[in-house]
Amino acid sequence: MYKTTLLTALIVCASLLGACAQFESKRGVEVNWQDTVTNELVNGTSTRKDVLALLGPPSQVIALGSETALYYLFEHSEGEGLILIVYNRMRINTRYDRAIFFFDESDTLTEFATRVYPADES
Amino acid sequence: MRASSIRLLYLLLSYWLLTGCSQWRYDMGAPIASSDLPAQRASLNEVLQLLGPPMRMSASDTGFIMAWEHWDIRENSLGITLGALGADFFSADWGEMRIKGEFLLVTFDHQHLLTSATYTDWDNDGGGGQAIQPFFSFVSVVDVEDLIDPMPQHDWGNLLLQSDLPSALNSGSNSDTGQRGLQQRATPKAIGQQSLEMN
Repeated sequence: MYKTTLLTALIVCASLLGACAQFESKRGVEVNWQDTVTNELVNGTSTRKDVLALLGPPSQVIALGSETALYYLFEHSEGEGLILIVYNRMRINTRYDRAIFFFDESDTLTEFATRVYPADES
Repeated sequence: MRASSIRLLYLLLSYWLLTGCSQWRYDMGAPIASSDLPAQRASLNEVLQLLGPPMRMSASDTGFIMAWEHWDIRENSLGITLGALGADFFSADWGEMRIKGEFLLVTFDHQHLLTSATYTDWDNDGGGGQAIQPFFSFVSVVDVEDLIDPMPQHDWGNLLLQSDLPSALNSGSNSDTGQRGLQQRATPKAIGQQSLEMN
């Protein structure tokens, strides 16, 4: 009986070992659009050249007739899981840091907005 | 061997037979409050301050379109196999999926004034299935792949250089370029603009 119990305990312990997982995935352009950076931009004054100099190439350029929009996206997924043999659980949270800048036909900034989640601030 | 030992061994055997109950949770984007619906004729600047940059955007003939979305996908599955005993010739699987989501679609005219705003939310059964499969598990009973794709903005440059001929011929109608409308996740590829790509 003692041997069986010992064997059982060993098997259960072995099953429970390595029972957690954590990963993250990052896609997109580097987040350079924190408020401290975009405070330098002024609607009606700043130009597309200023934005590109501050933030670099965008994820997407959208033509809106005579206007254009630059769209920046950084996709950040974080996953964590509990992996037992009889029960496995994974939870994956995906957040999208993004910025958009509108320019008129003379390449002057007309509107912009940014969103950075606190975890990606640094 | 005592009866208690035999019971214990049966218990262990049952434990190994289960490949497990698996739960996957995907939370994509931030929740949208229905109270965040912008007012009629609001300016683009007001909407951006209220909601932040859109998740999706496209030009349209009358101005442009923006969309914000939030998805919460729950996948549950249960499987039994003899693989742990070295006899991988039988598996029984069951799975189901639940999809909750929110989508806010806003249109603007060329003067950057809001012309319409539509909000919808849903909590639906996303499908599922059961399978008994010998030797190999050929079929996945729950498929969420098309719901968790990365955003199309990451592929924008690549889309403009796509080498696949049917896709290239149809690039003017592609909903991922930001020039010809937009579509939600999980829209079937066999209908609408992408059906012309024939692949």
